[in-house]
Amino acid sequence: MEMILILLLTIPALASALIVLGRKRETIERIHTISSILSFIAAAAIAVMIWRGQAVIQWNLLRADALSAFFAAIITFVGAIAGIYAVGYMRLDESDPGRIRVFYALFQLFVFTMLLAVTTDNLGLMWVAIDGTTLATVFLVTFHDSQTALEAAYKYLMISSVGIAMAFMGTVLMYYAAAARVGEIGLSWTSLISIAAQLDPGVVKLAFVFILIGYGTKAGLAPMHTWLPDTYSEAPAPVSALMSGALSTVGVYALIRFKSVTDITLGTAYTSTWLMRFGLLSLGLAAAFLVSQRNYKRMLAYSSVEHTGIIALGLGFGGYWGTVGALLHLLNHALSKSMLFILSGSILLKYRTTEIRGIRGLLGAAPWTGAAFLCAIVALLGLPPFGLFISEFMIFRAAFEAGSPGYAVAGIAFLALAFAGILASVNAMLYGKPEGDLETSDPLLWHIAPVTLNVILLAGLGLVFPNEVRAFFDQLLLIVGVSH
Amino acid sequence: MAFARIANFLSFIFLLMMFLLIIRNSLEAQIRMFAMQSLVLTALAGVVAYFGGRGELAGVAVVLAIVKVIVIPSVLYRAATKIGLQRAVAPYLGPSMSMFICALLVVVSFYVMAPVTSSNPLPTADGIPLAFAGVLIGLFTTVNRRRALTQILGFLMLENSVFMVALLATYGVPLIVELGVFLDVLVAVLILEVFVYRIKENFDSMDVKKMGALRG
Repeated sequence: MEMILILLLTIPALASALIVLGRKRETIERIHTISSILSFIAAAAIAVMIWRGQAVIQWNLLRADALSAFFAAIITFVGAIAGIYAVGYMRLDESDPGRIRVFYALFQLFVFTMLLAVTTDNLGLMWVAIDGTTLATVFLVTFHDSQTALEAAYKYLMISSVGIAMAFMGTVLMYYAAAARVGEIGLSWTSLISIAAQLDPGVVKLAFVFILIGYGTKAGLAPMHTWLPDTYSEAPAPVSALMSGALSTVGVYALIRFKSVTDITLGTAYTSTWLMRFGLLSLGLAAAFLVSQRNYKRMLAYSSVEHTGIIALGLGFGGYWGTVGALLHLLNHALSKSMLFILSGSILLKYRTTEIRGIRGLLGAAPWTGAAFLCAIVALLGLPPFGLFISEFMIFRAAFEAGSPGYAVAGIAFLALAFAGILASVNAMLYGKPEGDLETSDPLLWHIAPVTLNVILLAGLGLVFPNEVRAFFDQLLLIVGVSH
Repeated sequence: MAFARIANFLSFIFLLMMFLLIIRNSLEAQIRMFAMQSLVLTALAGVVAYFGGRGELAGVAVVLAIVKVIVIPSVLYRAATKIGLQRAVAPYLGPSMSMFICALLVVVSFYVMAPVTSSNPLPTADGIPLAFAGVLIGLFTTVNRRRALTQILGFLMLENSVFMVALLATYGVPLIVELGVFLDVLVAVLILEVFVYRIKENFDSMDVKKMGALRG
């Protein structure tokens, strides 16, 4: 049983080491691709085992329950899609072999740190792993080696480091609250949950605020989001895809773990209020920046802030529909946003600009890329038949049940504003006539093919919610302490 | 009680280093302040190991001394001399205004940390607000600075302060976490060092205000 858990972490770690030792480019690419796909298979296997009734898989400090499996599956799926695309994208890059090797090694290391974060029972180790994600990605962000990329990476490292130091402060406080009761094992999430009712409420309150600011920085909640548009827009497309799809979800994962402990100690009202405030602020701020955005990669990044805000709102509204909605929305957003960043890489290759003004007639100039982009945008905007429509509906429905209609009304208004902003920009990009003579061709074809999987999944999540999936979500809800 | 008195004294010295860092102009002196602050932290780890009966903290103290008293300061020092930058620091707010804000932060810290101090049975509890004030001041200093290297120093002091709180409130976090944290900090500093050179090359200055291409 626990073999599969060990395997899940060994695959990317080993791949990273092998890539460093690898000589030929083909070998490196092959190791990278195989590892990306195998990681997903391992994560899927864990999810299936847990869904079949094995509640927990544990080995020393590692532990996977339904929540871990859910996040590990998202991380590895996005990792596989972005990983396959990266091979095609990087082949068009004329960097020297050494840099290519570093790129793939760090890519795998990044996946490893994220997987470690969601599969450890020890909240201290989780902190170390999440801090590790920042360190692994810094040189991925500066891969293009431009002045702006350097600026983005410096801001990213500095803001994330300060943010994560706040999260460490929160972890220390939580440990302090628990150590009085259980001693050394106070950092284990399982033991923390079991004694949560007896923790000192004053200390737990304080701890949660630090955790929310700290891991909120990683998740991209406003006002700690300032690194995010710079970083996502400057990083190479496969890296932006992985960061937007997987890294911000890891931040949310950490928040959910701490929230479930805090809720037992203090009742749900405390964490709800904080999450709703930060959620609405993120949504509103992002909507304001989306109205007149000139750069399409920044547009996608601000939309990530917007959706993280919606997820925080869902968690804040709580209850069955709020929590299911938030978790589903997380999955939907990861699927649509990773796809959009991948496509933005292909658009950049085609037009050589990140300005929205410079992109005209995408549907005509690169039909497949354009069509996929259109699909993903429709999904992202929350239109049926795609999953985001359903999850947003669930979340705002929960707001009325939770007795916070004010938040729902404000949230929907901001959502409409963001909708209009994105639609106007994308409309200009897709139609019209391109400047100069662009031949009709897609810069990368089969490398963007994996994103059809994203489209199928998004449509599936929008149309059906089978009982089997529902059963899995019930398991998830049990872990976060929400009953039907 | 000797233990409580020593711990309080060390917390006080620790905070003093923080204030000295704010008023010192030369980068060299600031790096020295950071090294000395780390030394105080090491001393506290040793004291807690001895009086608190936590043997493994002696090991932590050794690693701390190597990483934060020797390696990180020398990395920073090398970076500082290589770019030949010994001028005044020019933060957004001047030293007297900064001192005033930091003094306020100390008061705030006593207020915020009240639930922790009041419930803490350990003899080291009285130092907690002082160490937590370090967290707030570190945060403020990082935001208040313009140059990459001095921002890094602010951040490192902040990191030190969180450690200090952990030591005082719970005699430190479990060993494996502690070692993981050291590793992360060390790697972060090494990456930042690379950045310091590249920022200097690319922007012909260490002033992060000059980095203004990414907006909106």
